[in-house]
Amino acid sequence: MAGHNIHRSIAARLALGYGLLTALSIAVVCGVFYVGTIGVLDRSVDHKLVVLSGRLASLYDVNDGGGAVSAEIAHLLTDRTDSDTEIFLLVGADGRRISGNLSEWPDPASPVGRLLHREVTREGRRVPARLLIRDLDGGARLFVGRDMEEGESIRSLVVRSLAFGGGAAVLLAVAGALLFRRQLEARIGRIRRTAAEIEAGDLSQRIPVTSDDEFGLLSRDINRMLDRIEHLMEGVRHVSNAIAHDLRTPLGRIRNKLDGALRVAAEVQTREGHALAAQAAIDDIDELTRVFDKLLQIAAAESGMRPENFSDIDLHQIGADIVEMYEATADERGVLLVQMYGQDVPARGDRNLLGSALASLVDNAIKYAGSGATVEVSAGTDENGSWLSVRDNGPGVPPEELPKLTQRFYRLDKSRHLPGNGLGLSIVAAIAALHGGSLVIEDAAPGLCIRLRLLR
Amino acid sequence: MRCLVIEDEADTSRYICAGLREAGHDVTACDNGIDGMRLACGEEWDALILDRLLPGELDGLAIVARLRGLGRNTPVLVLSALSSVDERVRGLRSGGDDYLSKPFAIAELLARIEALLRRAAPVPDATQLQVADLVLDMRTMRVTRANRQIALQPREFRLLEYLMRHQGQSVTRAMLLEAVWDYHFDPQTNVIDVQVSRLRTKIDKEFGPPLIHTVRGVGYTLGVLDGG
Repeated sequence: MAGHNIHRSIAARLALGYGLLTALSIAVVCGVFYVGTIGVLDRSVDHKLVVLSGRLASLYDVNDGGGAVSAEIAHLLTDRTDSDTEIFLLVGADGRRISGNLSEWPDPASPVGRLLHREVTREGRRVPARLLIRDLDGGARLFVGRDMEEGESIRSLVVRSLAFGGGAAVLLAVAGALLFRRQLEARIGRIRRTAAEIEAGDLSQRIPVTSDDEFGLLSRDINRMLDRIEHLMEGVRHVSNAIAHDLRTPLGRIRNKLDGALRVAAEVQTREGHALAAQAAIDDIDELTRVFDKLLQIAAAESGMRPENFSDIDLHQIGADIVEMYEATADERGVLLVQMYGQDVPARGDRNLLGSALASLVDNAIKYAGSGATVEVSAGTDENGSWLSVRDNGPGVPPEELPKLTQRFYRLDKSRHLPGNGLGLSIVAAIAALHGGSLVIEDAAPGLCIRLRLLR
Repeated sequence: MRCLVIEDEADTSRYICAGLREAGHDVTACDNGIDGMRLACGEEWDALILDRLLPGELDGLAIVARLRGLGRNTPVLVLSALSSVDERVRGLRSGGDDYLSKPFAIAELLARIEALLRRAAPVPDATQLQVADLVLDMRTMRVTRANRQIALQPREFRLLEYLMRHQGQSVTRAMLLEAVWDYHFDPQTNVIDVQVSRLRTKIDKEFGPPLIHTVRGVGYTLGVLDGG
């Protein structure tokens, strides 16, 4: 990322902006400081010059002559208040020096009545000075000024320290910005490296989370998203495995049947034989389609994609519907199918999916409990949510086999002769998961109790 | 009856058209959404059979939506390889009258088309249905055959009512499950057969001739068979 175009690197832009902002604030601070120190000093000097020259001018007017002013100047130059920086010069109408400590006549063309910066010679030394020139009555002229040598050195000290301090601050800001940029890029680099590894096919990679700051939170969010994606991919892989392993067998069977029919047809041409073979193939294909649909249904449910048609449903009513649907079938097999008395059990879910799940459970119970058994369907609510359950008092399932029941294509050895594809319970489990719940299988001693739990 | 089949898969289209022609319908086939839209909206049809997913910009559901937008209530059967309940709901919500997922038996399709055509031309709401000497009174919920009352459970009553409303037509097990139980799933075992055979015992056993008949590979039909 190092040679990145500055326009395209947000880190560089941030660093640059941050550095500029810092430099600007330092400039503002320096400006305010300069005006607050040197500026105040200058203004105070100017003010004093104006006041002093005004006082001397009015003294000249009142006394109508230079004597009193000269005495005042001599007094001011010896009163030990700023005496070593004060500058005075009184010049008569004839251009002669009357009194004061300026040894040289400043540039005669200097404007009158305005504050000036001039180099003057005071007591034989050239010094920078602030100067105010006034015309007095009768052509005399008064120069009042202040030796600024000391002021200048203060000024240059202030400027120097501001330059040093400001420079150091700007350098620090730039260094900080660069550091900031490096860090930002390092953090983003980690995310990008992980993304690249995932893109290369390693979906198990996760962004290392080292802190709880914004990047930590973002990394955590991305990791969570990756977990979800990996889970979905897992589901897809499961389905393709199932298709690869378990759909090949029936396909092979169909092919063999048709092949057999063809060979028989070559010898004896019987219409019934063809029809039978075709019908058998169609039945097999229908069964295959059913298995296929169920696998897809499991995958969809396991992926946790929330279906759109969740609605307000009554579990007790679904129980009643399915019991009514299977009553005749149970009767035929000598099984007593009953629904436990109950009230409405409101829940949110997909009525068709739950109906098919319950139908599948009831179907299993009737099939496996055997003649003379009783199958009870009930629905209810407890602190953990609502549930539908099917309980039989048949032979049940050995405890060690219980956890395997929801595995895809798993069938108990003793039930292999019964019709079925071993997908029923895994679909029911997937439907429960889709409703945020689970399938709880218990030994009912005797018999089996399967409870389909929904999220509250 | 004039049927329009909009289906891009040539084999499926041929299969459907052959089945419909055999059943005595006049069939026009079309293999894309644009022509389908033009034909469906431009002419009068008794029934439309269309694939949900068609190549190009116009898919089946768009055609149904447009047709309904024009205020036409031609019966529409939506075909789809997408079999999930969500897809079914989406298909019906967009204006389809029935939804059939692929692969399907032609018998199932024909039975559903018959039902749709029948629904499009409803008989005036009678309070009583009669087939031969079997009478079902919807007001009093009484069923009699040869003037003898037959006691039916509520669901058996609805099952018989559906069969009688579609007398002479084949109805499939899936249609019965949808219409009588109002569930859309594939019952694993023969629950419907058991229910029908129970009803048959009550309706036909002590009477003659039998009215409920099994249609091989399809389902059931109620009526007096010729020569039966």
